[in-house]
Amino acid sequence: MLSLYFVLTVLHVTFCGASGKDDGGCAFAPSWLDSVVMSMKISKQGFHRDLVYEVRHEPRSRPVKALLLHRLPSGVYMDQYQLADLREEMGLQVLLDSALDLESPAHISSAFSALVFLSPPEPLQAAVPVHGRYHKASSSGGWEHVIIDPPKLLLRPEHCDTVDPGLPHRLVDAPCTIHNQSLCSWLEIHGLQVSKVSLELPVGDSSLTIPVCAVTTLVSLLCSAFLFRAVWKRGIF
Amino acid sequence: MLPVQLMTFRNLHSVAFIIRVILLGFGIYQDKNMVVKYTDIDYHVFTDASRLVTQGESPYNRSTYRYTPLLAWMLSPNIYLTFHFGKLLFVICDVLSGVLIYHILTLRGLSCDAACHFTALWLLNPLPIGVSTRGNAEALLAILVLSTLLCLQLKRHFTAACLYGLSVHMKIYTVIYALPIALFISNQKELKNRYRGVSRLFLTLFHKDLVLFAVVAGVVFLGLFLTFYCMYGWDFLQETYLYHLTRRDIRHNFSPYFYMFYLTAESEWNFVLGLVTFLPQVILLLLTSLAFYEDLPLCCFLNTALFVSFNKVCTSQYFLWYLCLLPLVLPHLRLTIKQGIGLLLLWFIGQGLWLAPAYYLEFEGRNSFVFIWFAGLLFLIINSVVMVQIINNYIPKTFVNQKKKRK
Repeated sequence: MLSLYFVLTVLHVTFCGASGKDDGGCAFAPSWLDSVVMSMKISKQGFHRDLVYEVRHEPRSRPVKALLLHRLPSGVYMDQYQLADLREEMGLQVLLDSALDLESPAHISSAFSALVFLSPPEPLQAAVPVHGRYHKASSSGGWEHVIIDPPKLLLRPEHCDTVDPGLPHRLVDAPCTIHNQSLCSWLEIHGLQVSKVSLELPVGDSSLTIPVCAVTTLVSLLCSAFLFRAVWKRGIF
Repeated sequence: MLPVQLMTFRNLHSVAFIIRVILLGFGIYQDKNMVVKYTDIDYHVFTDASRLVTQGESPYNRSTYRYTPLLAWMLSPNIYLTFHFGKLLFVICDVLSGVLIYHILTLRGLSCDAACHFTALWLLNPLPIGVSTRGNAEALLAILVLSTLLCLQLKRHFTAACLYGLSVHMKIYTVIYALPIALFISNQKELKNRYRGVSRLFLTLFHKDLVLFAVVAGVVFLGLFLTFYCMYGWDFLQETYLYHLTRRDIRHNFSPYFYMFYLTAESEWNFVLGLVTFLPQVILLLLTSLAFYEDLPLCCFLNTALFVSFNKVCTSQYFLWYLCLLPLVLPHLRLTIKQGIGLLLLWFIGQGLWLAPAYYLEFEGRNSFVFIWFAGLLFLIINSVVMVQIINNYIPKTFVNQKKKRK
């Protein structure tokens, strides 16, 4: 069971200068950190979309691992079984913080977190399938907008379980890999300019409730009567 | 004459099998190389559940697994041998359903040649071919229902009862065949001639064949039910039966009621509307059972088509439940080929008109709920017209027998 008790259990938060430990290659230069850019887009239309994440940095020669901590609203869901298949087929690495109901409508579902691991080789990118949930009918029909905020970006140099604090960024503990067996220190990158994305999901028009109920019931009764008459006439009683 | 006919039978079934095997191969290729996958999502659900049972866990730990644990067990070679085992099993069942249809048709008095033609309607029909090669388990049920009908026709009540008990265990909807089967078994001419009124009813109800059938089918069903209930508890009951009995999906599906239930979800009217839609279904099922039980395949076909058309949830797999019985009904209709093709086209157009707005809603994000609703209602009307045409053009078996006697 993927009950992931880990996420964002920020075990300790260390600020710049709190530790004097230094082991060489596990620190980030400020200029390098300034070069980090993250983007998030949503592709496809309708209820079945892809969230496309990309993390870029200069120079690319330095291999880093990225972890996106993404809080997603109740209006969408990710399918853990589809993610498991994609992991096998394409090496997509996504963990969910809870088992999600794949069928329930938005208003009785809850928000959830996804952890997207991006590993070298470059470019650090992933397309994660996300599905829209059915929403409650609204009085004007149309579309329901589901806003998806950008994820938090965590970085650590490849082959380093701990990151040297030496910069005014926060260190957080989060799973090292998708296997979720150990925690590593990751550097949380602030100040990234990533825009939100939004999904437009069609919703039913509740102002039509009465005509829809009336016509549906009428057609259903007429069809039943039509069939009843035929069976009554032709049946062998 | 006979070898040629045997060849036809053999050829037909071989061709049907080869087509399916080629499609299995194509499916493997498409799954590996294309974005849109050939294998149905349900097949992955079955395989996941199978993996769980081989690890000694409950298959219901796989969410959306809503079938009997038997299926998960049956597909355990998917884990031990090859992922494609289940599909091959479904394909074999699909072709064996053709064999059963052929035998029932010849028992119903058709020549081998004619029986082959009607069997081809199942074996070469793209719908069952697609469904079984994509990994849906509907063929298992087709084989159970058809073999129950064959055994009943051969008066092998014990075997028929075992198969029927298993059918109801596998898919609860087959319970709608209980009344026509009971009436069919207890329909004894000597009782009709000798007794009247209450005594006839009493003797009919306690006819030894009927009692045997009811007891055996009941024991098979309850035996499996209790075994799995002991093993998997409430999950088994909930997912295999209660879910299907109470299912009311607000997401778009072929049911004429889907939009109504979506708009009234959680309102106090929901219960009343549920009842209003449930009653016509029950009344029609009772009436057709009483009207046509003497011709069991026709009765089961009509019952299934009525049940599916008026159901609160309907997906395209449900169509196979009655399509496997259609070749048994067609030879007894007065329809010309032109009329038959016309009705078939109408049915496909009905589906097409639903599929187009459903595609735009799901994959393009257009708000086409009203069109889907209209298309659902139109599909119900088309289904009713097709059923009425079948009923009106049906030649009763007694009439056929009389004609034969006169000759």
